[in-house]
Amino acid sequence: MVSRAGLIITSSMATKKAKIYTVSEATSLIKVALEQNLPSRLAVAGEISDWKHHSSGHCYFSLKDANGVLPCVMWKSSFNKVKFAPADGMAIIATGHIDVYPPQGKYQFYADKLEPAGVGALRLAFEQMAKKLEAEGLFDEEHKKPLSRYPMRIGIVTSRSGAALIDIADSIYNRWPCAKMFLYPSPVQGEGAAEEIAAAIRDLNRQNKELRLDVLIVGRGGGSLEDLWAFNEEVLARAIFASKIPVISAVGHEIDVTIADMAADARASTPTKAGMIAVPDMQEVLGQLEGAEIRLKTYVESRLKYAGQNLETILASSVFRNPYWLVNNALQRADEVQTRLTESAKSLLGQLRRRLAVALELIMRIEPGRLLAESKVQLNNLYNTAQAKIWNVLGKRKLQLTALENKLVVMNPKSVLSRGYSITTNKRTGKIVVKLEDVELEDVLTTELASQNFIESRVTNKQNSKQAN
Amino acid sequence: MAKGEKKDIDKLSFEEAIQDLTEIVDKIEKGDTPLQTSIEQYEKGMALIKHCRGILQAAEKKIEKVSQTGDEESKK
Repeated sequence: MVSRAGLIITSSMATKKAKIYTVSEATSLIKVALEQNLPSRLAVAGEISDWKHHSSGHCYFSLKDANGVLPCVMWKSSFNKVKFAPADGMAIIATGHIDVYPPQGKYQFYADKLEPAGVGALRLAFEQMAKKLEAEGLFDEEHKKPLSRYPMRIGIVTSRSGAALIDIADSIYNRWPCAKMFLYPSPVQGEGAAEEIAAAIRDLNRQNKELRLDVLIVGRGGGSLEDLWAFNEEVLARAIFASKIPVISAVGHEIDVTIADMAADARASTPTKAGMIAVPDMQEVLGQLEGAEIRLKTYVESRLKYAGQNLETILASSVFRNPYWLVNNALQRADEVQTRLTESAKSLLGQLRRRLAVALELIMRIEPGRLLAESKVQLNNLYNTAQAKIWNVLGKRKLQLTALENKLVVMNPKSVLSRGYSITTNKRTGKIVVKLEDVELEDVLTTELASQNFIESRVTNKQNSKQAN
Repeated sequence: MAKGEKKDIDKLSFEEAIQDLTEIVDKIEKGDTPLQTSIEQYEKGMALIKHCRGILQAAEKKIEKVSQTGDEESKK
């Protein structure tokens, strides 16, 4: 059935004359074919050529690469959202759709979004780097070093010839002319600039024992993202992070935030604002000094005035009006006391004399000579009685003692010494020699004889008589 | 105040001098120091102010160039 039907169609087409399409119809076929086969939206990268911004506000241009050209249109409404100014030769990425333009019999690209391709890549790199370093903590607030409040020695890393150097130096000098500035020249854009700035920061840190810099300002003037790119590179961010000297970044115009800004301890939005961030205003500091001076003076003056008033009050008292008054009073009192003392001493002496006389008289009255003789006889008697008693007791004790002594003499081991025995002691051990084992060859022996006589001898031989036999 | 202390003041950095000065002003204004100490502190404070002003007056717009030392690390 199907094949038959197909045959029928074929045969009918073959029999009929080939269909003639109008231009519009053909164009419409193409349009449908395109719509059916192309993605509804696509992004195309290429270089802009023949850029025309029509007075109507619409834009007409071509995107081309080495092998092809794509005509493009961008309507006014879409173009208004483009932030940059497209121009011939610029590499961009256009997003939109392809359609046929019947009046000219051509297909063209209807762009609704344009992005600069190169910068887009940089921006992506920037965002990736920012994310990476942030995750590592390079931007953390806790790592920010405090800036010196009154920096006297300021290091500047920038291009020797750039306007930024003058801007930075002026902004510092105008506020704080007493600071000394030190320039470490370094290229600030182009290939290798980031490495050179990083090396400068490291070098200054190395030299800082001699340089004694309080702060470092690293910066350059404004420019395109490419121009500022050195300040977005990892190597510089790490050098800033590692710097022991606090770092202030001062890059470009206010809207440009760089990775270096985020890694630095403080950020000046432009080189001309570096001074505001880095140094205090001298007029303010002088004002503070003056304030301190006034406060000190006022306080000490009032303190002195108060002390002076106190002193006057004290001086006004009667003691100070007539200082001798006190002394004279004391002298008078001393005289009085002296008189009283002399008088009482005299009367006391008289009393004592009288009592002594009475006592003497009493003593003479008791006839001391007679009393003494009587006492002597009594004493003699007592003495004799006591003597007899003591002898009696002593005699008994003596007998007991002799008996005990005799017993002891018999028991004393040394009594046998008088009969020819002796006691041998090993001088080394301090023990009496009883057995052969109590001595060793070369030991010194002490032999005690009667009447506490001693002989010392050395052991030259040890022998058991039984074994010897 | 000892002479040695005056000499020390000349050696102080601006920051240190300002800090000492602030402490002295605070202390002296509390008013619990004896008169003798207050006067000593006052004299020291005045010396510090003089020292600070001296530093501030030493102004000369000059930018010294730092000579580079080899940075082998970065040139690798």
